[in-house]
Amino acid sequence: MMNKRATLFLFLPVVCLLLSSSALAQLKVVTTLTDLQSITSLIGGDKVDVFAIATGYQNPHFVDPKPSYILKLSRADVFVTVGLDLEIGWVPPLLNSARNSKIQKGGDGYVDASVNIPLLQVPTSASRGQGDIHVFGNPHYWLDPQNGKIIAKNIFDALVRVDPDRRSFYEANLKKFNETIDAKTREWTEKLRPYAGTKVIAYHNEWPYFEQRFGLQIVDFLEPKPGIPPTPSQLLKVINEMKRDHIKIIIISPYFTTESADMVARNAGGKVVTIATSVGANEKIKTYYDLFEYNISQLIEALR
Amino acid sequence: MIFYRTISVILVLHCVALAGAEAQQTDSSTVADSLLLLQLQRSMQQAAAIPTIQQAPAAPRSTLSTNPDLSAIGDFRSSYVSVGKRKIDLYLNQLEFQVSSVVDPYARADFMFSYGKDLNTGELAPGLEIATLTSTSLPYQLQLALGKFKPAFGKINILHPHAFSFVDFPKLTENYFSPEGMFMEGASVSWLVPNPYDFFQELSLEIGRIESNASLVRGENGQLSYVGHLKNFFDLTQNSTLELGFSGANGPNQTGFSSKMGGVDLTYKWKPVQYNVLQSFTWQSELLFSNVRLDETTAAKTHGVYSLAEYQFAQRWFVGARYDYSQYPDDVGRRDVAGTVLFRFQPTEFQILALEYQYTDRNYDRNSQGVIFRIIFGIGTHAAHQY
Repeated sequence: MMNKRATLFLFLPVVCLLLSSSALAQLKVVTTLTDLQSITSLIGGDKVDVFAIATGYQNPHFVDPKPSYILKLSRADVFVTVGLDLEIGWVPPLLNSARNSKIQKGGDGYVDASVNIPLLQVPTSASRGQGDIHVFGNPHYWLDPQNGKIIAKNIFDALVRVDPDRRSFYEANLKKFNETIDAKTREWTEKLRPYAGTKVIAYHNEWPYFEQRFGLQIVDFLEPKPGIPPTPSQLLKVINEMKRDHIKIIIISPYFTTESADMVARNAGGKVVTIATSVGANEKIKTYYDLFEYNISQLIEALR
Repeated sequence: MIFYRTISVILVLHCVALAGAEAQQTDSSTVADSLLLLQLQRSMQQAAAIPTIQQAPAAPRSTLSTNPDLSAIGDFRSSYVSVGKRKIDLYLNQLEFQVSSVVDPYARADFMFSYGKDLNTGELAPGLEIATLTSTSLPYQLQLALGKFKPAFGKINILHPHAFSFVDFPKLTENYFSPEGMFMEGASVSWLVPNPYDFFQELSLEIGRIESNASLVRGENGQLSYVGHLKNFFDLTQNSTLELGFSGANGPNQTGFSSKMGGVDLTYKWKPVQYNVLQSFTWQSELLFSNVRLDETTAAKTHGVYSLAEYQFAQRWFVGARYDYSQYPDDVGRRDVAGTVLFRFQPTEFQILALEYQYTDRNYDRNSQGVIFRIIFGIGTHAAHQY
């Protein structure tokens, strides 16, 4: 009898420990981009452990599907993707080898962050003759901070599906995120209001959501077609456009080299501004909020 | 009359009471009104600060469907070879059709049909290269594939020709298997091996009937072949990786006895993350050992090796070089040694042009040299290749 009681007393703390550790366990989340990682962290707080596959200074169209990512995905509770075929070159081989049904399309842990996003540039016909076009619409939607709220809601829904006990915690964070992003959007819009309608040139067609939100006007690209490197004839066309319309700014992402943009700027009397497409593009951009703070401050400095 | 008087009095009293209440409210609610006004002003300012963007009506995601991914890949070649009857040639080497889709929440299916040049007749002939059902939801980090596939022997064998950077497969692939490698009909089980150092380690075991090649044949009387592979993958830095693999195979050969094979593969890749479309470097080597039992007392122990390097110096341009040494599985006395140089131009990922020069030294025949131009062109949705 004593032995049974002793055994019970010995096991009780172990059971309690196991129960408490499972209660404290963080959800493992894998996101394709750092922006989704940042938003997930803001909603999930210390209840989630988030890993982003691509870095903030990497071209999200071209990421190598390294086997080490398969290992991360095999243990994930939630997987968050931009969708709209942005990651079509590298997410399918990773998911196919992940051996994890929770995060496959249709699983509770699968999050297509683009759901309910009002999409821009949805083509009415699609041909690869038009370059690297996206048949579902332009996928760079996270560059409008107001779309961040829709992304956050999609992530919130998945966190609640997988971890319903912490619903109120996630809900409070979602509310806080929405309030912050609203307040900051007002602030950022005000800062850029004096420059509304300013014409700019971009390297690649990845700014329509940013452009729409903050009132810039991107009139041409250094790429003749999406994904096709700049050609001499295209660069000449852009130089003439810049001279004719007094365009002073070329915006470029960190993963494009600046040679062609520099050349155009030299010949047209403009300047090249490198702005970030993702969190982590440089040391100053640690959160989703920082992404816009940085980009807007860079643009204002250049436009002044 | 009394009724109308009463009503009039009530109305007058009501109006007086309302007027009094209003006057009282006006006195006591000035502050509250100011706050309300302020709130209204603020909300109007807010409404002005986050302009409601007029969205075009959301276009339906019309391409969403349950249709499988379909793709076609063409491989056209033009060649000059210093020996043989047809020194200069132009030909469609192969056309591949791929159909892939998720089957249900538990599996996916992949089919690849080819229409390739028959090496014996020179004519185009149809063939089935891949037909697999692959699980997506097995427990314990397991994955099962059933059907026809390219077994995971070494690094090259799992590739299809269009996915390999050089125009031809290494000599060891050609001499020990076939110009396109080894194919198997059977089952493949792979397992992500948990390990204390938390690196990617995958063990694959495959069992089935091999499509007859130089080393192994489709066994009679229920004889099966076995292939195993252990893949170890390490992230050295953010920009560089190392893969080390060990392979083994065992199965019946043409003499009715068995062949045993072993292999080691080593791949180093460097690609700067920030400019990953502009620069890259790959060094890859494989070593293969073969032990073919020819009769009761005799066995042929041979080996083959290749080492290749490829450097991408601009977004669309690559150069590469390869060294090959390969014996033949059933003849210890024969061997090929070859040196290859490659230039590759890739306007987009859907069109790849390559020019390759190769010098081959044979100890059983005339040495040869050849130049091959290849253009790969693809349409449709083709699944991305493994890293």
